[in-house]
Amino acid sequence: MTSTEQTSGLGFVGQSVKRVEDDRLLRGEGKFIADVNPEGVLHAAFLRSPMAHATIRSIDVGEARRARGVRAVFTGQDIVDLTHPFPPFLMLGGMYTPLYWALSADKVRHQGDPVALVVAESRYLAEDALELIEVDYEPLQAVATIGQALQSDREQLWEKADGNVLFDAYHDYGDIDAVFADADRVVTERFSCQRQSNQPMETRGTTIEVDPETGHLTVRSATQSSHFLRWIIAALTEKESVMDSIKGVINQKERRAAFGAAVKEFVTKNKEELDKQDNTGMKDQMKTDRSTMLHMQRIGLGLLGADQYPTVVADDIGGGFGAKGSIAREDVALAAAAIELGKSVKWVEDRVENLTDGGMAREEDLTISLALDNDGTFRGLKVDVVMDQGAYPGFPVGAGFTTQIMKVMFPGTYRFEAFQQRSRIVCTNKGKYVAYRGPWANETWARERIIDVAARALNMSPTELRARNMMGEGDMDEAMITGPTLDVTMSTKKTFERAVEIMDPEAFEAERRAAADEGRYLGMGFCAYHEAAPGPRNYTDAINPGTGVLTAESARTVVEADGSIKVITSQMPHGQSHETTYAQVAATELGVGIDDIELVFGNTSRTPFSFLGTGGSRGGPMGGGAVRGSSREVREKVVDHAARMLEASAEDIEIVDGNIHVAGVPARGLTYADVARDVAGVSAADDAEAIEARCDYEGAGDGGWSCATHACIVEVDIDTGMVSIPRYVVVEDCGPIINPAIVDGQVRGGVAQGVGAVLYESSHYDEDANLQATTYMDYLIPTAMEIPHVEIHHMETLSPGRENDFRGVGEGGMIGAPAALTNAIEDALRPFNARVTDQYLPPTKILELAGVIAPD
Amino acid sequence: MTTVQPHETTGVAFTLNGEAFGADVEPRRTLSDVIREDAELTGTHLGCEHGVCGACTVLIDGQPARSCLMLAVQADGADVTTIEGLAAPDGSLHPVQQAMHDAHGFQCAFCSPGFMMSTIALLAENPSPTRDEIKEELSGNLCRCTGYETILNGVETAVRLMGADRGGAS
Repeated sequence: MTSTEQTSGLGFVGQSVKRVEDDRLLRGEGKFIADVNPEGVLHAAFLRSPMAHATIRSIDVGEARRARGVRAVFTGQDIVDLTHPFPPFLMLGGMYTPLYWALSADKVRHQGDPVALVVAESRYLAEDALELIEVDYEPLQAVATIGQALQSDREQLWEKADGNVLFDAYHDYGDIDAVFADADRVVTERFSCQRQSNQPMETRGTTIEVDPETGHLTVRSATQSSHFLRWIIAALTEKESVMDSIKGVINQKERRAAFGAAVKEFVTKNKEELDKQDNTGMKDQMKTDRSTMLHMQRIGLGLLGADQYPTVVADDIGGGFGAKGSIAREDVALAAAAIELGKSVKWVEDRVENLTDGGMAREEDLTISLALDNDGTFRGLKVDVVMDQGAYPGFPVGAGFTTQIMKVMFPGTYRFEAFQQRSRIVCTNKGKYVAYRGPWANETWARERIIDVAARALNMSPTELRARNMMGEGDMDEAMITGPTLDVTMSTKKTFERAVEIMDPEAFEAERRAAADEGRYLGMGFCAYHEAAPGPRNYTDAINPGTGVLTAESARTVVEADGSIKVITSQMPHGQSHETTYAQVAATELGVGIDDIELVFGNTSRTPFSFLGTGGSRGGPMGGGAVRGSSREVREKVVDHAARMLEASAEDIEIVDGNIHVAGVPARGLTYADVARDVAGVSAADDAEAIEARCDYEGAGDGGWSCATHACIVEVDIDTGMVSIPRYVVVEDCGPIINPAIVDGQVRGGVAQGVGAVLYESSHYDEDANLQATTYMDYLIPTAMEIPHVEIHHMETLSPGRENDFRGVGEGGMIGAPAALTNAIEDALRPFNARVTDQYLPPTKILELAGVIAPD
Repeated sequence: MTTVQPHETTGVAFTLNGEAFGADVEPRRTLSDVIREDAELTGTHLGCEHGVCGACTVLIDGQPARSCLMLAVQADGADVTTIEGLAAPDGSLHPVQQAMHDAHGFQCAFCSPGFMMSTIALLAENPSPTRDEIKEELSGNLCRCTGYETILNGVETAVRLMGADRGGAS
């Protein structure tokens, strides 16, 4: 065991406590999904389409079925027969969500679309058999770009949709036309962001373990969201005939009662949120695709008639960045195969599969108009966002929800009299769009870019223009124009002023001139933003009413009869160091050491329900708040019981280093084991729950904003097109910090992905929708050579009188970096009158911008 | 030259973390798969299986190698070290492991075995590298979580710990 140096139970929060999870991970004893090998497990491999868009005329798996070591081959049609389609989720009014199955049976819609599944005795043999499958494809015209998707005469991906535009809606706040007419000028630009990929170092993977006696499924998976995966696998694989399902409903009294009770509890607890929900999206979906209703009914019947649902277990996860919050189509196919065979089946995807179908993001075109007066006062903002969701909708969070977060966050920290967003979602023959670290981040990129463009038009400095329009302490609207309430935690302006002070733009001008004399091009860029982490209560209503139901967070704290303390969370750690930070929070409450706390996560038979698991910068504020709540209540119970044992008054009890005693008399103290054993009784098993409490945490109330300003200096080499980053500064404010070293790590990691986004990473498709980056030779993940030192300055704005004031910090690094970098690059290229409109600026693009080579 | 049929197995023997290891393997099987599946040492991780990410790095006769690109049969007779071979027999961490803990080196830590094996190879060649040398040597290992800074700090911490072990100036 690596020992943590800190032993005192007081004041862990705020210290860079060393990581509890390190011991197993640094020894190579972590348990990642590829390390799970149940007895007799079979291995799966998927056959994937080489075509971007094609009809499947026929598929011949005969030879593959006969191949050495092969136990089964499932075609797309086999899986369609065994499962239900993915249902629409988080629908928006007027949006069409196509129904699709785990494997494709009649049509493929992107390179990498899975069409068959081989189950064999080893991965090698499974892959051998893939080569024996013959698929006859009839190619269809591919839709490779947003521009093509917007054309009405292009081949359609989904027959029930109206063209390839799945959603088109306007949201207006204030009188946009009047404000635009009245403003002195309007600055307009169109920005484009390339397709990127989350790329955790561990790919996706799942093992479906089948209990040979009972048939019970244990789904072991690298998932950010274990409860949601459990429900989806249960829902989509219960494929009894309708009659059998009905018989099941009638016969399974216990099951039915339990299901009914769970639904009742959920509805009661979330009544307020559910009442607010707007069902237009569902109604529109039903109108466009009547089969939705039939599938939903069958899924419902299946769930009701089922004997049992799977257990999902997630252990160590090698990163996710949002991609592992999506439910993989492959997981549903694997579960169906395992049920059919009665055997455990394992699949760990390879990197080519991950780059092709493991999740992509960020591909958006944004036309943005900023109306302002000649003195620099912002008046109105109008944006037209087109998001390329690829072929299949990300599930559960995909393009639809993301456009709506973007809509809420677009105005940022600036005051506008009116705002309008047009949101369109198109489908193309590309890998699916998923949430990626700050999924809405391109609003910050486009807004902070247009501000620089406008500053140049007004011959004003970008920092001056930002300062003039930013809301700050003493001058803050009650709410953003898009709805969410603002308060003191929206401290962007403070971070901005501090960043300007640190960067000293005036001194930089001298540096720039000196460099220019040597033929070197330096530029400086800023980006300021706030993010909901988790945001005020009305934040989710502003996105889409009633979606707050997704964000509930629970924790339990348990003292077992032998005195062991377990904290049980619905969060699903995958690199964020929850085991350390939650131990800090719980140990502080309970007066014990860090090593006295064991965090339990990822196992649906033990953890409280949560839709999201880990995602949305909720781990600190929501998960931390829940852990504090349940631990505090346990402490009260322990103190009350110890007071009786010590014949003292509860007010006089204190706990230091696990010693529960009357203040001033530590020598006559009790241990947690003494108290727990007294509660549980001598005959109780050591691991019996003696004292426990659960906290269903709803957040600290208003506020909950995380804020930051990123600023950097770049040097652009116009001979090579290379960009270096001599200085990168982040001034961030996520409120009181639980563990500074861990917060710094989150900030740096986010910035690194932002550097990758601007300079290195592109999931580029050619004109026929063939993916050009299917290995790490083409999809360039930045190395230690490319990532700059990130100078981090913390501000810790407190919300007076509010506990659990922690605010999330996982996503911000990546929200700020693209704008700061692209602004700095345009600034460096000022001598060439360059206008940066792309987020992706590889060397060739830089050389084009500098006029060294002709545009492509 | 012998010809081997696709599914024939062939004997391979090498030293693995100081102990003799032998198995009958298909010649096409990678060293990483044999380490993970036959020797059941799952600390060596597979990130890309095409030799770029470095997560699978092991030491072959003290030199770093991508075990995903190497066939197990190629390791015949070699001395192979994996992450599981680093801690001392009493369980205490290797200075590089300890240093990564002290420096908050990793987050998800999926890439960590490869980084630590590369670091050990680097420090064996160059016990006191500069920051730039560390960056360059570790540029064959990818990390998606940390932005590398804490890993580089970890290597510098290891340099100090190992210098102190050798009785040198820390």
